[in-house]
Amino acid sequence: MAGSQLIACHECDLMQREVPLPRGGVAFCGRCGAELYRSHPDSFERTLAFTVAAIFLFAIANAFPIVGVKLQGQVIQTTLFDTVRTLYSEDMKSVAVLVFVTAMLMPAIKLFALTYLYLPLRLGRAAPHFALVFRMLRAVHPWSMVEVFLLGILVSVIKLENLASVVPGIALWSFGALMLLMAALAAVFDPRGLWTRMEATR
Amino acid sequence: MAENLSENPRRSEPAELPAAVAAPRSRRTVQLVWLIPLIAALVGGWLAIRSVLDRGPVITISFKTAEGLEAGKSKLKFKDVDIGQVSRVVLAPDLSSVIVTAELVKGSDTHLHEDTQFWVVRPRISGGSVSGIGTLLSGAYIGVGIGKSKEARSEFTGLEVPPIFSTDAAGREFVLHSPDLGSLDYGSPVFFRRLQVGQITGYDLDKNGKGVTLRVFVNAPYDQYVSSNTRFWHASGVDLSLNASGITLDTQSMVSILLGGLAFQTPTSSSPLPPAAPNAVFQLFANRVEAMKHPDTIVDRFTMIFTESLRGLVPGAVVDFRGIAVGEVVSINTRFDPVKGTITLPVEINYFPERFTAREAAGPRTGRAARDPKAMTNMLVGRGLRAQLRTGNLLTGQLYIALDVFPDAPKAKIDWSTTPPEFPTVVGSLQDLQNSLTSIARKLDKMDFEGIGANLQQTLKTATKMMTALDTSVTELTPETKAVIVEARRTLDSADRALASDSPLLQDSRAMMSEIARAARAFRILADYLEQHPEALISGKKEENK
Amino acid sequence: MTAPVTAASLGLLGCHVCGQLSRGAAHSHDACCPRCGAPLHSRKPDSIARTWALLIAAMILYIPANLLPMMYTSSLFGSQADTIMSGVVYFWTSGSWYLALIIFFASILVPLLKMAVLLFLLVSVQMRSHWQPVQRARLYRLVEVIGRWSMLDVYVVAMIVSLVQLKALATILPGPGAMAFGAVVVLTIFAAMAFDPRLIWDPLEEERG
Repeated sequence: MAGSQLIACHECDLMQREVPLPRGGVAFCGRCGAELYRSHPDSFERTLAFTVAAIFLFAIANAFPIVGVKLQGQVIQTTLFDTVRTLYSEDMKSVAVLVFVTAMLMPAIKLFALTYLYLPLRLGRAAPHFALVFRMLRAVHPWSMVEVFLLGILVSVIKLENLASVVPGIALWSFGALMLLMAALAAVFDPRGLWTRMEATR
Repeated sequence: MAENLSENPRRSEPAELPAAVAAPRSRRTVQLVWLIPLIAALVGGWLAIRSVLDRGPVITISFKTAEGLEAGKSKLKFKDVDIGQVSRVVLAPDLSSVIVTAELVKGSDTHLHEDTQFWVVRPRISGGSVSGIGTLLSGAYIGVGIGKSKEARSEFTGLEVPPIFSTDAAGREFVLHSPDLGSLDYGSPVFFRRLQVGQITGYDLDKNGKGVTLRVFVNAPYDQYVSSNTRFWHASGVDLSLNASGITLDTQSMVSILLGGLAFQTPTSSSPLPPAAPNAVFQLFANRVEAMKHPDTIVDRFTMIFTESLRGLVPGAVVDFRGIAVGEVVSINTRFDPVKGTITLPVEINYFPERFTAREAAGPRTGRAARDPKAMTNMLVGRGLRAQLRTGNLLTGQLYIALDVFPDAPKAKIDWSTTPPEFPTVVGSLQDLQNSLTSIARKLDKMDFEGIGANLQQTLKTATKMMTALDTSVTELTPETKAVIVEARRTLDSADRALASDSPLLQDSRAMMSEIARAARAFRILADYLEQHPEALISGKKEENK
Repeated sequence: MTAPVTAASLGLLGCHVCGQLSRGAAHSHDACCPRCGAPLHSRKPDSIARTWALLIAAMILYIPANLLPMMYTSSLFGSQADTIMSGVVYFWTSGSWYLALIIFFASILVPLLKMAVLLFLLVSVQMRSHWQPVQRARLYRLVEVIGRWSMLDVYVVAMIVSLVQLKALATILPGPGAMAFGAVVVLTIFAAMAFDPRLIWDPLEEERG
C-alpha cells in the first residue's frame, strides 16, 4: 500500500515520503511547516504511564476542594463540581455547562479513551470499537482545557486575595500536576505509532 | 564503532570461547516512566485513605425547620470551632421535620453523648441580648453543646431555641415556682446585688395550670450565694414606693426594665446556710419587699364576722396589730343561715403567729411565742383582744382589719368548734361613734329623775321660807327703795327713747346696714364677673358690646 | 525543487483523524476512512461558509460580551457590575499589572486576534491569494493554540462566584456578559475547526495545474 511510506500533510495536503527519524526527532511538512509526526522514545509506554498517572490526579483534583476562602472565621471551600453546581443554581446554566464540559467532562473522556486504547494494546490485543474510541479522542482534544482552568483558578485566587485570605486546597496542586502531565501526554502521544501497534495485533 | 569491533577479524579468537547469551528485550520490563503513575497512585491512595481515616462520625439531627441551613456549607460549631459540616438536608418521611445529616471531624465521636445538644444559630434578639449577628454575614450554623452523659448516640433532636448557657458552663440550675410568668422570657437576666449572674433557661406552665415553673441558671461562682433560704423575686420593671423618707425608685437595670428579670438575695438576718443543691425549688415572689419578709411557716386561719358593710375590704388586705402586719385577708364570703334567716359575712384571714415572736430572741429558730397557742389566744381574747374594721385610706375607702385590745369590749370567746375558728370582733370606728351616742342615751335613761324632783321641792320650800323673811325686811327699807325705783325708771325711759324707731341712733345704724348690703351686692357681682372673666384681674374690665 | 504533489491531486484522501491515506473520489461525501471509520473528504465540506457563519456569530456576540457585565458584585457597600475591561482597569490601577496583562491578553486580545486572523484567512482564501502561504499557515496554527486561553475569564468568573457566597456581606453573581463571552470562545473554536487550512494552498496548486 502506498500510504505506508507516503504521508499527506494534514494542513496543506502535500504528499511526502516518510523518513526515519532519530530518537526524539520530529518530522515537519516540507511546504507549510506543520508537524507531521514525531518519534518519541517509548512513546507507547509513556503515554500509557502518563495517562494512568493523570487519571489518579484527575480523581484527586475533582474529589478535593480546589481553594478555600477564609472570611469571618468561616472557610468556604469549593470543589470543581461545587463550582459548576453553584453556577447552575445561579441561573447561569450555559456557563455552568461550559465549565463542566471543558474542565471535567472532556478531560475525563480524553483520559479514559486513552486508557481504553492503550491498556489492551499493552496486553497484546486491540480493544473493541478501537476506531470509534480513537475518533472520539480526537474530537475531544480541542475541548479539554485543564491548563486554562488552572490559570483561571490562579487568577481568581489572586483576585480574591484582596477580599479574604485564600487557602489553596489539595486539588489545586493536583490540577497543577495534571496540567504538567497533560502537556507531557500531548508531547508523547503518537497516533501513528498507536495505529502501527494496533495493526500489528491483527 | 561497535560493528567495526565485532567484525574486525584481526584477532583470531578460539572457537571454544563461550558466546554471550543474547536475550530479547523483555516486553515485561517495567520502565522508569511508570514511576510517575505509581507516585500519582500513591499520593492519590494516601489522600483517599487519609480522607477515609479523617472521616468523623455521621450524625442526624432533626429540626422543625431547615431555615438557613445549607448542605455542604453550614458548619457545626462548638465554642465557635468547626467540628463538622452539614452534608444533607432532607425532609422527614412524615413531613413534620427536617433531618439534617452532618459529618463531624474525626475524634468527635467521643462528644456525641445522649445529652449533647444541637441548635441552629441564627440572628436572634431575645432575653436582653442580641445573638448570632455574625450569622447575618456567614449564614446560619449549628451550635453544639457537648453533654456530660456517658451514653453515646448518633441521632439527635435539635433544639428550636438555643440553650441560654452552654452545657459545660459552670453553675447550677434552680427551679422557681411563680403564679405567673410576668414579663420574663428565655434568657431574662438574673441579678444578684445588681450584677447579672444568670439567666432564665426555660419555663413551663404547671400541669394543673395554676402556676408557672421556671428554670434559672446561675453561673459559677455566684451560684454559691444561693442557699436554701434565698429569696427570688421579679425584678421586672420599676418599683416606685412612697414612704416616710420620700419616693424610692427601685430597679435592677435598664435591661430588666425593658425585658424583665429576676433577682435573688439571702436575708442577712439568717445565719449562712450551705449553698443550695442543683435543681432546688424556690418560690418566686412578686417584689423584693414580699420576698424579704420573714417567711411565715406557721399559718393559723380564723373567721371573723363583722356586722358592718365590708365595702373596701379585699382579699389580701392587711390584718395588723398596732401597725404591724400579722396576717392577711384570704377570702370574704356570705353565709345565709336558713334557721335564723340572717345573712352573715364571714371574713377568712391568715394569721402568722411567728410575727409575734421576738426575732432577736428567737434567732433563726422561728416558731410560736407560746407553747399552747390556743390557751394563749383565749387569754388574749379574755383581756379584750378583738378584731375591728378600720379605714386604711380615707380617699379610697380601703379597709383593713386591726387587732387590738379593747378592755371595755363585751366579753367574748373564740369559737374553736368551727373551722376555721371564729374570732370575736368589735365594731369599727364610725360604728363606734354611733355606739357612744347610744351609750350616752343609755346613761341618761338611767338617771334618778324622781330623786331630783324631791330635791327640787325641798329647795323650793327653803326658798319660800327665805322670801317671807325677805318680805318683812323689805317693808323696813321702803323709803330708800322707792327712791331707787324712781331712779331706775328714769334710766329705763331714756334707754327706751334711744331705741325708738325714729331715734337718731337707730336711723344711723340702719343706714350703715343698707350701705353694707350694697357693698356686698357689688362684691358679689365682681366675684361673678371674675369667675367668668378671670383675666380681668390683669387686663381690667372690658367694655361690653351693646 | 520538484513540483509539490498533493494527496488530492493523486486522488488520495488523507484522514483528518488518523492520517491514513486512502484512495477515493475527491468530492465524494460518503467515503469513510478504512482504518478509523471517520468520514473522508478531500477538503472540509463547506469550510468557508461554515467558518463565515460561526465567525460572524462570534463577532456579533463579542459586542455584548464586552459591554455587558461579567459579574455583579453586591455588598453592604453597594453593588457593582464588572465588565471585562473594567476588571482589567481595576487590576491595572490596583497595582497587579501582571494580572491586568494576563486578563487583557486572554480576554480581549486573544479573541480579537483570533477573529481578525480568521477573517483575514477567510478573505485571503476567498480571494485565492498567493500571498505568503507559509505565514498564513503559521497564523492558523497560532489561532488553534491560543484560542482556548480565552476561556480564562469564564473560569475566573465561575470560581469567584462559587467562592464568594457570603450571603449578606457580598454576593457575586455571574452576569450576562459571561454567557456571551463563553459563547464567543466556543464559536471561535468551532470556526477554527471548520476552517480548512489546505484551502490556503489550493490556489497555488491550481495555478501550476
